[in-house]
Amino acid sequence: MKRETKSHRSVAICLTVSMLLAVWLVPTCLAVDANEASVAINQAERDLGLAFAMVAEAESAGADVSALLNKLDIAGDFLSEAKAAFGTGDYENANPLAVDCSHTVEGLADDAASLKLDAEKAQSDRLLFTAMWSGVGLVLLLVLGFLGWKFLKRRYFRRILDMKPQVEGAQ
Amino acid sequence: MNFGNLKLFYALSCVALCLIILAPTLALVVTFPEGERFSELWILGSNHMTADYTFDVTVNEEYLVYAGVGNHMKSSAYYVVYVKFKNQTESLPNDKTETPSPVPPLYTYYVFLQDGDDWEIPLTFSFSGVSFSENRSLVESLTVNDVAFSVDKAAVWDAEDKGYYYQLFLELWIYNTQSKTIQFHNRFVGIQLNITRTV
Repeated sequence: MKRETKSHRSVAICLTVSMLLAVWLVPTCLAVDANEASVAINQAERDLGLAFAMVAEAESAGADVSALLNKLDIAGDFLSEAKAAFGTGDYENANPLAVDCSHTVEGLADDAASLKLDAEKAQSDRLLFTAMWSGVGLVLLLVLGFLGWKFLKRRYFRRILDMKPQVEGAQ
Repeated sequence: MNFGNLKLFYALSCVALCLIILAPTLALVVTFPEGERFSELWILGSNHMTADYTFDVTVNEEYLVYAGVGNHMKSSAYYVVYVKFKNQTESLPNDKTETPSPVPPLYTYYVFLQDGDDWEIPLTFSFSGVSFSENRSLVESLTVNDVAFSVDKAAVWDAEDKGYYYQLFLELWIYNTQSKTIQFHNRFVGIQLNITRTV
């Protein structure tokens, strides 16, 4: 009976010690250090920059990038908060915020690339269409110009000939 | 009109018509000069005007200014705005050598703007842990947008202008798509602050 009580007590002590150790060690294991947060922030900055570079390329191809810029704005807000948290030594919040920034711009480069392709295709179609109509216009101008010139020349000479003095009633 | 003049008039008319017909195609191919490319950076007072700027500040009091950026770069731009805080001895950015201030930034804004767009945001700040000893003041903490940063900056008493002077300023940086880096855009703006015991 006494031995049983003793074994129960040692089990209770063991459990208490392990619980205390768990409470003490788990946050230490999960804690984010400055280096980890800094790496996440640098990565987020790189992601943001590269995503913007693709968006800028799409825009210069003529694409409407306003939706993509809105997404970049949201990502920028996350990064801003991450940097502020990092600046105050709150690395545990800085890290997930930087990761959120990277996640927000995930796939944005692909979207921008696809928008760029669409814009380039639309641009070349527009150029082709406009060039075609300009070509048709030029051919028409050449033909009508030639016919017009012939008509104008004939009319001019007829008028000149009509103006030629004629001698009447000569004997 | 003689025949030579008629011929010339007709040829010129044809050339003019030719240019009119080709104009839409030329507009798609030829690039015209874009004009001046520039960016704006500003700070407005609490009344949203270039007046009534905060000057005399005291501990634990919150102050408000508005920070803004305008894009006239003829394309979308990625700006980074750094909020910095300096005392009398630290240097401001140098617009001649186009170098930023060596003071580390406290708060950072990431701004994406289309050409012709503006961005403006309220910026709040307050001071805590301010102490005065003889002719020296020390600011331990500056809170920007509800985030408290440890600054530990000291200023000596300016006998000429009668005050302990600090400066809160913004630096504008821009992302360069060629080098894929953020570069100082040679624009900065700030407000002078005089830390006092009571306002």
